[in-house]
Amino acid sequence: MPHAVANGLELHHQLLGEAREGQTPCVFAHGLLIDNLSSWYFGAAPIVATTRQAICYDLRGHGLSSHTPDGHDVATGVADLLALLDSLGLERADLAGQSWGALICLRLALEHPERVRRLVLCEAPLPPSSLEEMTSVLSSDADELLKMLPDSLREAFTSGKRRALKTARRLERLLTETTLVADLKAETDLPDETLRSLQHETLLLYGDASSCRGVGDRLATLLPNSRLEVLAGGHYLAAQRAPEVGRLIQEFLDG
Amino acid sequence: MTTLTDIAGLIQEVIGEDWDLDEEITLETSFSDDLELESIEFVSLAEKMQATFGEEVNFVRWLSEKELDEVIDLKVGDVVEFIDSCKN
Repeated sequence: MPHAVANGLELHHQLLGEAREGQTPCVFAHGLLIDNLSSWYFGAAPIVATTRQAICYDLRGHGLSSHTPDGHDVATGVADLLALLDSLGLERADLAGQSWGALICLRLALEHPERVRRLVLCEAPLPPSSLEEMTSVLSSDADELLKMLPDSLREAFTSGKRRALKTARRLERLLTETTLVADLKAETDLPDETLRSLQHETLLLYGDASSCRGVGDRLATLLPNSRLEVLAGGHYLAAQRAPEVGRLIQEFLDG
Repeated sequence: MTTLTDIAGLIQEVIGEDWDLDEEITLETSFSDDLELESIEFVSLAEKMQATFGEEVNFVRWLSEKELDEVIDLKVGDVVEFIDSCKN
C-alpha cells in the first residue's frame, strides 16, 4: 500500500503504468463520502494508463488515507493534492476529478496554473449546492444519501452484512465526527470572472440524468478552452460509465 | 497449488480479522454478495494479485473494460479463468 507523506498526513495512492518520457502523468481525484480511489482505479485510470502513467489517490478521511477530524474543504484538498504532486516529484500533471475531486482539480488549476497541463472535470458541482445529494449530506442523513446511488451500487451498500456495516460506520464518522458537513456548507461558488480566466484545455463530463447536469452547460460557456460531453448516466458517472469515461479522457489527454 | 487456492488465500489475507465466512471459497463465490468485499479491499486484493502473479496478469486493466454491474456480479471463477488465460 503506497503512502505519500503530504501536508502532514499519509495519502494512499496507486500508480498505474510506467512514467513515460514526454507524457504528462494524470492524477485522479475521487468524490466524497462513499467514494475512494477505486472508482477511478478500476475504471477510467487503467485505460488512460495504456499511454501515460495514471495516479489515483484517496482524499483525506477516505479509503486508506489518514483520517482527520477536519480539512474537507476544497482549499485544504488543493493543499493536499499539491503536496502529493511534490512528494511524487511531479512538476506538472494532468488532473482528472469526479464531483468534489473535480472542484479540487479546478481550484488547483486556477491557483497554480503552472502545475497543470490539461484538466478533466467529471460532474463538478458548482456551486456545491447544485448537487441534490448535498441536502442529505448537510442533514447528515446517511440513509437518504445511499438512496441516491445507482441501483447496483445501492444494493451493494445496503445488502446487509459486513460491508454495509462498515460503510454505515464510515459515513457516520465522516458526517458526525468530522467538520465535513460544516466544510461543505461553507464552500461557495466560483465567480464567472474567475472561471473565464482559466486557460487550460478542459474536458467536461456530465451525466444526462444528473442533478448537476446544468453545471456542465455553465462551465462549457465560461471556461474558454473547454469541451462538454454528456453521457447517459447520473452523478456517479466515473464509476457508472467507466469504460466510456476512460476512453474519452484518454483521447482528450493524448490528442 | 491451483489458481483458486492462491486467490482464496489472498482474499483471506485482505479480509483479515473480519473473516467470518463458514463456507469454503469456490469458483461460484461472488465477491459482492458472498464475500461482501469493499471496493478499497478490492484494491488491496488487486495489489496482492499483481505481486503474486506478476505483471502479465493485468487484473485492473481487465476490470476497466467491464461495466459497473458486471464488476459487482463478478465471481471468483471469473478471476481464476482470467488469470489462467494470462498464464497460457
